Amino acid sequence: MAGAPDGGTVLSEKMLAARFAEVVLPHLGDALSLARWLTGNQADAEDVVQEACLKAHAGIAGFAGGNARAWLLTIVRNASYTWMARNRSRSVVAVGDLADLDDVSPPPDNDADSPEAALIAKANSAAVEAAIARLPQAFRETLVLRDINGLSYREIAAMLGVPQGTVMSRLARARGLLMTELGGRHEPA
Amino acid sequence: MSPHENRPREDGLPEDPQDMKLMIHALVDGELDAAAALAVERRMAADPELAAEHARLVALSGAVANVPRPTVSDDFLARIAAIATVKDPEEAEVAQAESVKAEASVQRQQQGKVIEMRPRASRWFNSFDWRQMAASIVLTAFLASGVTQWLTTADNGSDSFAVAVANGHRRSLLAATPVDIFSSDRHTVKPWLDGRIGVSPAAPDMAKDGYALLGGRVEVIGDRPMPALVYRHHEHLITLVAAPRQNEAKSVPVADDLSAGGFLLVHWTDDAFSYWAISDAERPALDDFVARFRAAIIANPAAGSPG
Repeated sequence: MAGAPDGGTVLSEKMLAARFAEVVLPHLGDALSLARWLTGNQADAEDVVQEACLKAHAGIAGFAGGNARAWLLTIVRNASYTWMARNRSRSVVAVGDLADLDDVSPPPDNDADSPEAALIAKANSAAVEAAIARLPQAFRETLVLRDINGLSYREIAAMLGVPQGTVMSRLARARGLLMTELGGRHEPA
Repeated sequence: MSPHENRPREDGLPEDPQDMKLMIHALVDGELDAAAALAVERRMAADPELAAEHARLVALSGAVANVPRPTVSDDFLARIAAIATVKDPEEAEVAQAESVKAEASVQRQQQGKVIEMRPRASRWFNSFDWRQMAASIVLTAFLASGVTQWLTTADNGSDSFAVAVANGHRRSLLAATPVDIFSSDRHTVKPWLDGRIGVSPAAPDMAKDGYALLGGRVEVIGDRPMPALVYRHHEHLITLVAAPRQNEAKSVPVADDLSAGGFLLVHWTDDAFSYWAISDAERPALDDFVARFRAAIIANPAAGSPG
């Protein structure tokens, strides 16, 4: 029955296919979002996600349960950086020394008026997109994982290999930059 | 952090304004428990600057949420789904039908009928309803051989059991904890299972072999509660369901490799139990676990009696 070598492989391939459909396919939208924000455009994102899905399929046996989305996004993130290292000039990829970024102290937040909140809320999607795209890589990545992919602090910390406190401070910095830009406090030239 | 004089408000929140801001972010992100959320909301009520920060964050998260998401085109979805497609399912079903046909053709009594159907068979395959034909052949085989039918029934029984084991394992991975009793000590796990359902398998801790006993839980399969042990192997969990043997259950002295619901299973029996080991670990690791578990039981059979 299942002991026969032929029957065994077919069964396990079928099983892996079922698992792939269950673990990977529901999260393709999130995978595309992350890849799009990391690589900067939609067409590249599809290539990256396809590559990531090949890796996910090869490694599906290593999925130990838990949050399938976080698992897939970790692979997508790695695939994005691998892809950019191969296809982009180094200057774009350069993540820099993240410690430097984390040490930057946030700008003083003096005037905290509520009209700003209204301005931010009214900002159109194109402006928000442009502002996110202008964030430093490490901040953008954290913001996208949290606010677009909806991962928890803990999941992001595990994925990036940094303490939760770092995730929190990067997120605060990223949002601070967005709010500054969208709230019109320091209008860029 | 601990002395009270440094925390005049005693609400457990940081005094540092920057750290306090992080708490506002955490509140917006739903990362705070109810007590901390309440404390932060109280602070906001007392501090307009914090309230303004909160308002900005809420506005920003709304603005970010409105950014259009990339859509998964049907074309792209098909491309990704194709990665895992190993075999055309239609083709597989046809192959199955072929094997049914082969089986049917050896049935001596109904042989004439089967051969008579053959010329029409190929036309049916090409036109529409080959399933109906396959079904009629299965019926023929059924009438001709009751023995085959018994075997099929037995297999279906163990298949659904395997699926139930797989579902239990999947649920345990999603639950807050995969075990009801958390202990690596069989002297804790066995009495707990005995106390709950009056039956418990041997529960050797095999940490030195790389399979640490995490604890146990109760699975209910086909109306019957049964003990399940949970082992950890690296990042993988292995659930071992031990169903007390019943007289009619067929003996499987040699471990049988199966799969269900996307998980690998190994099934075997001893005098007292019918064992089902399931995991998302690789097949060699699972087989190794089973071999070591069986060796451990044989080394200490007294620990394995039911009750």
